[in-house]
Amino acid sequence: MDHTSTFERIVRGILIALVMIFFLFPIFWIVLMSFQTNETILRIPPSMVFEPTLSNYSALITGTLKTTAGNLDIAFMRNLGNSVLLSTASVALALILGVPAAYAFARFRFRLGEDIAFTLLSFRFAPPLLVLLPLTLYFKQLGLTNTYIGLIWVYQLICLPLILWIVRGYFEDISPDIEHAYRIAGNSWWQTFRKIAVPLAMPGIAAAGLLAFIFAWNNFIFALILASADKQPVTVGALAFVTASGIQYGQIAAAIVLSIAPTLALALYAQRYLVEGLSLGAVKG
Amino acid sequence: MTAAADHMTRPKTSSRFLRRALPYLLSLPALLVCIGILIPFFTAVYYSLMRFRLNLPQLKGFIWFDNYINFLSDAAFWNTVKISLVYAGVTVGVELLLGLGIALLLQKPTRFNNLASILLLLPLMTAPALAALMWKLMTNPNFGILSYFVSLLGFSNFKWASDPSTALLTVTLVDVWVYTPFIMILLLAGLRSLPKAPFEAAALDGVPRSFVFFRITLPMLLPYIITASLFRLLDSIQQFDIIYSMTQGGPGDTLMVFQVQSYLEFFQYTNVGRSAALLIILWAITFLLSNIFIKQWLKLRERAHGGA
Amino acid sequence: MPHIELAAVSKSFKTNKVLDDISLSADAGEIVVIFGPSGTGKTVLLRLIAGVEEPSSGEIRIDNQDMADVAPEHRDVGMAFQNFALFPHLNAFENIASPLRARAQGESQVKDGVARVAKLLKIDHVLGHAPRELSNGQKQRTALARALASSPKLLLLDDPLRNVDAKLRFEMRLELPRLLRQAKSTVLYVTQDYKEAMALADRIAVLAHGKFVQVATPQDIYRKPATLSVARLFGDPTINLAETTIGDDGTIALAGERLAVDPSYEAWAGRKVIFGVRPEAITVRQGNGTGLKAQVMAVTPLNERTVLLLQTAAGAELLASLPSSSTAIPKAESGVEVTFSLNGAHLFDHETGAALTGGSA
Repeated sequence: MDHTSTFERIVRGILIALVMIFFLFPIFWIVLMSFQTNETILRIPPSMVFEPTLSNYSALITGTLKTTAGNLDIAFMRNLGNSVLLSTASVALALILGVPAAYAFARFRFRLGEDIAFTLLSFRFAPPLLVLLPLTLYFKQLGLTNTYIGLIWVYQLICLPLILWIVRGYFEDISPDIEHAYRIAGNSWWQTFRKIAVPLAMPGIAAAGLLAFIFAWNNFIFALILASADKQPVTVGALAFVTASGIQYGQIAAAIVLSIAPTLALALYAQRYLVEGLSLGAVKG
Repeated sequence: MTAAADHMTRPKTSSRFLRRALPYLLSLPALLVCIGILIPFFTAVYYSLMRFRLNLPQLKGFIWFDNYINFLSDAAFWNTVKISLVYAGVTVGVELLLGLGIALLLQKPTRFNNLASILLLLPLMTAPALAALMWKLMTNPNFGILSYFVSLLGFSNFKWASDPSTALLTVTLVDVWVYTPFIMILLLAGLRSLPKAPFEAAALDGVPRSFVFFRITLPMLLPYIITASLFRLLDSIQQFDIIYSMTQGGPGDTLMVFQVQSYLEFFQYTNVGRSAALLIILWAITFLLSNIFIKQWLKLRERAHGGA
Repeated sequence: MPHIELAAVSKSFKTNKVLDDISLSADAGEIVVIFGPSGTGKTVLLRLIAGVEEPSSGEIRIDNQDMADVAPEHRDVGMAFQNFALFPHLNAFENIASPLRARAQGESQVKDGVARVAKLLKIDHVLGHAPRELSNGQKQRTALARALASSPKLLLLDDPLRNVDAKLRFEMRLELPRLLRQAKSTVLYVTQDYKEAMALADRIAVLAHGKFVQVATPQDIYRKPATLSVARLFGDPTINLAETTIGDDGTIALAGERLAVDPSYEAWAGRKVIFGVRPEAITVRQGNGTGLKAQVMAVTPLNERTVLLLQTAAGAELLASLPSSSTAIPKAESGVEVTFSLNGAHLFDHETGAALTGGSA
């Protein structure tokens, strides 16, 4: 039964439209820019009608840019590769380490478990630099600065607590009797974990993995401090790219599009998992 | 049928010790991560009590709380505190109002509304550092589309992030763009999970909409609002990505929030002691706030689990 | 040698002692019903025997082997849970097959095993369904089938009929004894329903406050209850109770009159007791004899028995139960005379509730 008047519906529609424009316009505009030559970009007033070009993308992908001043090497694809490597490896490792740990926290009541959970929770809101700056000095001593291993390890600080937080709740939701029944039927705890607990918690594991991937991909400060140019992911690389290439606005736009495309695509594809993970990560834990 | 039982002639025994050790073994990596957090943390506390500059290592020594005491008379420090609090307050305030408004608009679970809320997720999925770059391009005085729009309104030569008077506005804009959807999702979930009964009763009684909103909806939504606000407040006061990408804390020191200041202390001035002290102060603030939050969040978790 | 033996088993959760010094033994093929009101730890007991929980102290022996170091998957036990605990992501067939698959049986053996037990429980037509598509009755049978599938030597059934509607419960109560005897396993069956207990059990173990207050055959439990609570838990309508003191002559004071029930009561002269008499042990007659005078307040037919609510002159209320086929059922408002048959009369100590006497041998 809808009591809203037509006037109200119109107002509502306008407001929603304004909101959508505000939040979606920047993405739209950057995508547009990525298909424009520098000339088109610098034209005032800016126009929606222009001849699109793929030269920005081809420059990024091939790695060279032909300018009037000569050829410029762009290492942006390397940044993209780094992002893929770091995010995927970090999440994979975090899942392998975190899911069994989450199971332990959910099923066993042991003092260490409560202590770990408490520590991770209380440091969730601690400033990252507090951990990162001393870590920089330690990394230097250990020779881990600017290594993939060092970075993947540090990324665990982002991914692992998230996975523990979310997946634990899902394991707790499985009735223990179901697992008891599987054990009594003749299966070991490992088989029960693999065949019963994990499949039943899979939506939560997927949500956690997805969120962890997005957070890892979007991370800036960890990579800024602990990685040098050849290992930097796109978040840091794009910034360096801007300062380096100066006037190549079309390419900057294209670089940004390539950098945000994966997470946006993932978000659209798996949005149900995302929303569940986000809201439950905040509420359910 | 008998074959089934035959293979269990003498039940296998397994060590009780191994069974007891299982949870500890499984949570070993989590423990390592914990240690990986705690060691640097205590190191930072240690450094904050020292005079320690990387380029003057020979002067390294204990000065106890001098770093902290010096802050009290340091104008730069108070600037940092002020800017951080203002930034956190403004961004969270705007995001809360906007997020609540959007959640109310999209309350009904229609196809259109659901599609809208999915699309609104996108800014949240953008890396804040990259969002800052996007907005930097859009606010470029030469070709930025926003500069153009603003010039149409009569503001030619709007300097956005390069101008001390408008820098805060610009970064706030980026922050609001990225993080409002977060609050929107939480509040939307909250709105949709509210029990229908009170609203149906109010409709039957002919209660005016504003009353329903302020006296029924808002109070019931309060736990979600508090959760969302505290979450964002704690993140916002530590904002680094957006501000660093946009202006590295400038122009001048107009945007010198805690983490940006601390970063520069460490990497530009190589003053480890001061940098650490600054971070400890920030940590203390967030620790206090998060304790309030955790209590509230645990209450909300109880409700979520109990209702399930 | 008993098949399963519990020796001084205790279990505490933090400060809450749920099971206190439990001892029980069951022979192979025996059906022992563990009976008690909810929350008394019956489920915990089954979990200890299955091995998914550890006792705080005491020993559990199966086939004379201490089970302390034996994990649940190696105990050759079948268990059916109160809330079914079916695997939601597997269909009924796979649920039932899981004990067979765990024993590494070949595919055809698994198929045969499942078919056999599904036929027995009449669910062979829903084997392809997921648990959420099954009715409660079908879920319960699937859970039972899963417990029976590998023909385990020990069956643990945790109130399997609890979450099932009344009609189905009645049907199953008739079918279960046959099923269980066919399985030839030793059965430990938990229930709160005393009729179920009486129908199924070779022996009943009554659990109250963490202890076994009586372990005996159903007849002995009913006719010779060891405590007041056991007497109260068994019997429908519940046993009539009255606090009284035994006179020097062995009479009891009931409803304002002194009644001679049994000369042997003289042995407890002067003692404060609780006198109990089962409704079916009360004889109701029209007329004026030496019995207790009472008035019929209500007459309620209850299947094969009719229950009378009687009120004595002094205001005490009694429930009597007569066979419905009896010709002499008094009408409401009529005056009757009440006598007690020794067979259903019991004396319990006023403090401890322990039985002092339980009818005649």
